[in-house]
Amino acid sequence: MHQRQRAGALKKSSSQKCPEAPADNFRGSTKKHSICMVSDFFYPNMGGVESHIYQLSQCLIEKGHKVVVVTHAYGRRKGVRYLTNGLKVYYLPLQVMYNQSTATTCFHSLPLMRCVFVRERITVVHAHSSFSAMAHDSLFHAKTMGLNTVFTDHSLFGFADVSSVLTNKLLTVSLCDTNHIICVSYTSKENTVLRAALNPEIVSVIPNAVDPTDFTPDPSFRRDDRITIVVISRLVYRKGIDLLGGIIPELCLKYPDLHFLIGGEGPKRIVLEEVREKYQLHDRVRLLGALEHKDVRGVLVQGHIFLNTSLTEAFCMAIVEGASCGLQVVSTRVGGIPEVLPEELITLCEPTVRSLCAGLETVIARQRVGSLPPPESIHSRVRTLYTWRNVAERTEKVYDRVSTEEVLPLDRRLLRLRSHCGPVAGSVFAFMAVLDFLFLLLLQWLVPDRVMDVAVDATGPRSMWGQGSSIKLNATKGAANPDLFGE
Amino acid sequence: MEDESFTDISGKPVSLDCRNHSNFCREFTVSSAKISIGKVLAYTCCVWLLAYAVFWVTENTAVLSSAILITLVGMTLHIHFVKVDHESLLVIGSLGIQVSSSYASGRETTTFIEMNKIKDIVINEAIYMQQIIYYLCVLLKDPSDPEGASSVVPLFQSSKPRLDCLVKVYKSCQEILSKC
Repeated sequence: MHQRQRAGALKKSSSQKCPEAPADNFRGSTKKHSICMVSDFFYPNMGGVESHIYQLSQCLIEKGHKVVVVTHAYGRRKGVRYLTNGLKVYYLPLQVMYNQSTATTCFHSLPLMRCVFVRERITVVHAHSSFSAMAHDSLFHAKTMGLNTVFTDHSLFGFADVSSVLTNKLLTVSLCDTNHIICVSYTSKENTVLRAALNPEIVSVIPNAVDPTDFTPDPSFRRDDRITIVVISRLVYRKGIDLLGGIIPELCLKYPDLHFLIGGEGPKRIVLEEVREKYQLHDRVRLLGALEHKDVRGVLVQGHIFLNTSLTEAFCMAIVEGASCGLQVVSTRVGGIPEVLPEELITLCEPTVRSLCAGLETVIARQRVGSLPPPESIHSRVRTLYTWRNVAERTEKVYDRVSTEEVLPLDRRLLRLRSHCGPVAGSVFAFMAVLDFLFLLLLQWLVPDRVMDVAVDATGPRSMWGQGSSIKLNATKGAANPDLFGE
Repeated sequence: MEDESFTDISGKPVSLDCRNHSNFCREFTVSSAKISIGKVLAYTCCVWLLAYAVFWVTENTAVLSSAILITLVGMTLHIHFVKVDHESLLVIGSLGIQVSSSYASGRETTTFIEMNKIKDIVINEAIYMQQIIYYLCVLLKDPSDPEGASSVVPLFQSSKPRLDCLVKVYKSCQEILSKC
């Protein structure tokens, strides 16, 4: 038997619960859902999707819904874990193929997924990120099992190259019978609707959020004798690190008091190291390597200007975090970025070295004259723009709407697949759907639903988590293993 | 002294027997179903039919005799090493926990865990084969860190009873553990 130890509450650096949520007017709708968030990307991996799932789950738990997260095993982290406030995470032992995304055969994940859906009495399956094979698999299985499905798309895609043509086809297949789709910006909605040939009415836009209490400005950390430009992103091609490599020498030659602070890790780190070596900028360009979420604010408050050089971005969390720390944001005008911040808080440039340099120079000039708004005022503008509470409320509305919709029965699902996805792909996936259904029948015969133990809820209306009386038995033995069973 | 019937994780019946030896000493025995004669027949038939098919092609009588050997040895090994007839858990307050399992052949294995090594008994969740199940386990203390648990010893590993059975055992174990 695998020995999977419940690690008690795993401490997370980000906010412990939904920020600034007043308890009483927070419980709007009465219907409570059992939501299963599925994505390949979750803690301990770090990134936008991961924190989105975590924060959204925490706010939904606060609203009284039951939430479980399903992801694949990360190294030795397999089995079932509990995070803050009883957020239950299943780390399923599925094979990872590429970039933390699991391999997909459409079928092999069904037994475990079914087990999770049945034992947790899931009503809504919410998959995240189109890069995640596990998310698509779960949508496929959930529809076979007759559960309502929601999908959140976190990224933008092209249309031209072979890989995007293929992924777009898969996305079409995966989303054509999904109940509702959520995008993080209007640009992303437009992109997804076009890529997956969707009816725009079932696509909602719910932006990401930042926790404004985590990102507060503190100008005392700034050095006044220099101007610091902060860049925090993964050092990969998509984030425009090559542009950054062109900007650094040009500006450093012009402004001797200019310093760069670069946080993040990735394959393009070598580009920046070469630039630093070539122009002897070791004292002015600091590469901090991978940053933990809790350290990000400490880096941001040291800077005057936040620079984002992304080449494609659905919704840029980093610039909101930067602005929330009171930095002046300079960014490329790509994807959904123009929607994110009001004009006076951001300087938008074309994704070229020249345009970005020009944008940075105007901001540096304004910084020298002192005509930039003070960090506190920027922070107070931003803190009300994007809150997780608002995101959770809007997502809840999507769940309410979805739960009233019917899930297509198999025959109509097959018709939809064939009419929607073209004759070849449609037929192939209709065949897969039939196979999946037969596999499900086989599993139901081998292990009937009534044989599976219904899991003890840690969140939601029947939550057993943190009810003082039920945990007394362990009180003498230390609180490392809060037991859920001593009713 | 009571005998209750539950099911295991695949739906087969198991029975739980609780004995109260004294206030500080309780014994729980989970007995799984006996080997069914139908299953034995089915497996034997499979092996022999296969052997006969091979014999049909090769016309070598050694195949048939080896089939007989395989069946006999297989059955012996199965009842001696695999098939567990009943598993018992003896909890003695302030002394320790004895875990024993007896195989269908009569072989018994017993381990004893001292109380000062035991941190707690808990119900945990694990991924087992293609299922997610609850199981009862003993947490062992980590000698270097009094708050942490160094390892876990799963209980009722072969019978794998379902949650309702585990909760019953768990509660009466905790009654004893909390007293000492």
